[in-house]
Formats: sequence, structure tokens, C-alpha cells
Amino acid sequence: MKKVAIVGVGHGKFGVRSDASLRELVFEAVKACLEDAGVSLNEVESMVTGVACDEFSFNIQPSAQVHDYIGFHPKPNFRVEAACATGSVALRTGWMQIASGLADMVLVVGVEKMTEVTTSIATEIMGRAGDAIWEYPFGTTFPGYYAMIANAHMAEYGTTEEQLAMVAVKNHYYGCLNPCAHMQKEVTLEKALTSFPVAYPLKLYDCSLITDGAAAVLLASEERAKAISKKPVWMVGLGLATDTLRLGDRESLTSLRAAREAARMAYKMAGIGPSDIDVATVHDCFTIAEIVAYEDLGFCEKGEGGRLIEAKETYVEGRIPVNVDGGLKSKGHPLGATGVSMAIEITKQLRGEAGPRQVKDPEIGLTHNVGGSGQIALVHIFRRE
Amino acid sequence: MEFRDFSLFISQAKITRFAKDLAEGRIMSTVCRRCGKAYYPPQADCSSCMGSEMEWKELNGEGRLVTFTRIHVPPEHFAVRQPLMPFSSIQFEPCPIGLIEVEKGLRIMGWIPKMEIKKIKVGMKMKASPFRLPDGKLTIVLEPLNT
Repeated sequence: MKKVAIVGVGHGKFGVRSDASLRELVFEAVKACLEDAGVSLNEVESMVTGVACDEFSFNIQPSAQVHDYIGFHPKPNFRVEAACATGSVALRTGWMQIASGLADMVLVVGVEKMTEVTTSIATEIMGRAGDAIWEYPFGTTFPGYYAMIANAHMAEYGTTEEQLAMVAVKNHYYGCLNPCAHMQKEVTLEKALTSFPVAYPLKLYDCSLITDGAAAVLLASEERAKAISKKPVWMVGLGLATDTLRLGDRESLTSLRAAREAARMAYKMAGIGPSDIDVATVHDCFTIAEIVAYEDLGFCEKGEGGRLIEAKETYVEGRIPVNVDGGLKSKGHPLGATGVSMAIEITKQLRGEAGPRQVKDPEIGLTHNVGGSGQIALVHIFRRE
Repeated sequence: MEFRDFSLFISQAKITRFAKDLAEGRIMSTVCRRCGKAYYPPQADCSSCMGSEMEWKELNGEGRLVTFTRIHVPPEHFAVRQPLMPFSSIQFEPCPIGLIEVEKGLRIMGWIPKMEIKKIKVGMKMKASPFRLPDGKLTIVLEPLNT
């Protein structure tokens, strides 16, 4: 298997992008990515496009919009989909093309234009990402699924609403330091705790944002990476695992088995363990999801996630900095772009280019990206030279 | 009685009979005749032995609450429209939902219409029953058992 490195990153501005269409968002990210890599599109052999949802794009082949607008044809491009984990599946698919020897340079794009529909329609579309026959008729929404995880976690481990809010306080704080973040606004613990209810016990500030945005990374084989990049970031561990469609069928409602399994695979492939991780981005679609992620990734013992954030161990200065780019919570969660955006933050951290949110001299970083309420999860581990 | 009276969007499935039983007051599971694995929601096929000979079996519906929530921001389909009267609004008081485990690994989702959210506790004993809504649709409700 060939080694694969990230040699270029481009992150568009996340937010309510009423100024740009899906394809225009992609153009911004791809242009920035190629500039960062110092490579022209002519040198790229293949491309993967991650878009989660046709009901946002109003197009059954959104990848064609993308390769058309950036002028990539007739070279290979196809679309991948895995709900909120779409971006990481795109990255893994790009990695596979290089690892297998099929290509030496692959562009990976993630994008979603979610604000083309109203919030209640977006809520319905995402609610149906569970089981449309057996769950949706009970009015389930995405916040609803994670609220059920939160109530189970609180009942089993004594996790508190204050601890959930502390995740929001942290991620909003770092979102303010990230110029690409959707929400550039700090939030106090009190404000988070008194914000309006979305799905009990989750409140407004426990929820990530409905966001437009695109992100792109350029992957290269070892030979090409060494020729063109001074600071390649190597993808050294990959894990992907799945779980039941329905939340109710899970063996545990306080942990995501797919994430635990993906983490186990990625750690094994990289030959490291949780204590070796210097910086991580995890899937905080809701604050409870970040707390569960701490536990599933082995950053703390099961049930201790609430106490980890309470002790501020996941701040830049803490034992294991998590989501210091603002996370989905504050940076925003354009479904298809999220996994790619996570990889970009880790790349910047490992290159030492994260500015005011830079973690001190990190060597190994990790991304954790979950699709749906845990039907799929991907964990990727990155290492600098 | 159509399956869509329960499922809302999906009209056909091999287990469509589920809705008919629900209308007659029974919550049904299926059990694989070959390997004995039980399914709720019912399945027409067994993922455990790849068999497709299933037997229908009524569930007793009593179990313990595994988790719950109350969704305040509903999907478009469930969203309460504003009344046509100017300067007026309807107070939206959403109904909690929950999951109860009635047999090991078999969990039933349902509405919890008769309880305040603060009084709902994980682990409490509840019973799931079929329920016909005023619009003719079929659903399932969970009610606390006094023990």
C-alpha cells in the first residue's frame, strides 16, 4: 500500500452563504487548496466529491456541477455520501485511490448548501436520516436522536446539562478565533443554559448549525508529496465502522459502537494509542456528541467525558485539545464539507499554522466524524514528518 | 387500513400487516422459524440466518424506559401552522417520546402523552399500546405502569 499525504488545503468561509451557489462555494475551496499546494489543476489526476443530500442541492448528480464548474472534465470524479460523515468518506475514497496505485494526486472536495431550504424543512430532511418507517413517524429529528443519547448518558453517568453547556462555551470561544467559522460569538455558561429548548435536554447552544460551506484537500502519493510539499501531513491510520439504522436497536445508547470500532482500527493501523494524540477534531453535532466522543476515542474513561470538559482538559492548554477550530458547534456543519474541514484543521495544526488557536508543537492529530446518529463513523489519524 | 396510516411516507413493505394488527389493538413482532431470532420492528427476513420464514407474535408491551426526549423544534411535517387569525398564535406544547425495552434487545418507540417531561425517568416501568389519532392515523403510546 502506498503512503498518502495531504499536500494542500482550502477552506471556504462557512455560514449562511446567500451570496454563493454550491458550485461557487466549491470553486473558492478548490482555488485556495491548489494555491496552498502550489499545484495546478492539470496535475491532479482524479477527484472525489462529498455531498450528503440531494434535497439540499436540488440535483441528483451534484458532483457534475462541481467538476463542470472547476473545469475538471474529462478526468474522473464521482460523488460519495454518508450523511454527516460524507466528507470523511470522500477523504477515505481519495486515500484509497492513491494507496492502491490508481492515482498519484487526488482532489477531495466536500460541500453542502443547506440554507436553500427553510429550517423546518432542513429539520425534516435530517430527521428522516434515521429510520423513515419506524422512527420518523414519532416526530424524530436529529437533535431528538442525540437528546435521547444525552438522557441515557445523564441517567447512567450523572452527566449534567452544565457539562453539556461547557462544550458549547469552549467551542464558541475557539470559533471566534477561526475566521472560517459560521458563528463568531462567544457564549456564557448561563446564556447556553437558558437558551430555548430544541429537544429535551438539548438547548439552542447544544446544537450545531445549519450551514453552507465547502472545503478541499489535495492528496498525493509519497513520491509526489516529497517533490511538491515542504510540510506533507501523512494519513497514517484509517478506521470506518457501522452500526444499526435505528437508535433503539443499539447495544448501548451512551456510546457509539461504530466510533469505538473505527477508532480501534485507526489506532491499530497507526500503531499508536489514545494518549499519543496531540490534537483532535471530533463530531460535536451536539454537545453530548463531543462528550461521548471523548469516551469512545479513549481520551478518558467511559462516563468521564463530562468531567473532562469540566476540568478544561480539552482546551488548547489542556491534556488533549479537542475542536479548537470551533467544532461543528460554532464553525458550522455543512454536512458534506465537515469531514474535509476537520482534516484541514488537523493539517494546519500539524504544520503549525493554526494561528491563535495553535496547539503547542503537535505531532499526531485525529479526526472523528459520525454519520447520522452513529450508523457510520470514521476515524483518521494524521502525522507530520 | 394502509401501512401508510402508520408509516406516514412509505406505502408498501412485506410486513404491511403490522398496521392492520395495530388497528386491532396488537403490537406485533416477528420471530424466525429457523433460528428463533425475534424482531421488533418486525422484519420479513432474518439477518441472523438469512431465512425468510417468519412467524408473527404479539408483544405484551410492558417494559422499562431506555431513554426519552421531547422535541420542541419539529420537522416540517409535524410543524404547527400559525392560525389565520392576525395577532394570534397557538401555544405549541410538544409531546415527549421514548423507547421501552419489552424483551431483551426489543425496543418500542412511542409517544408519552400523559406525563410531564420532568417526571419521566430512565428505567421506569411503562406499557406500549396502539393508539388511533383523531385523523385516523395509527401510532403507539407509552404509559407509566403503577407498580
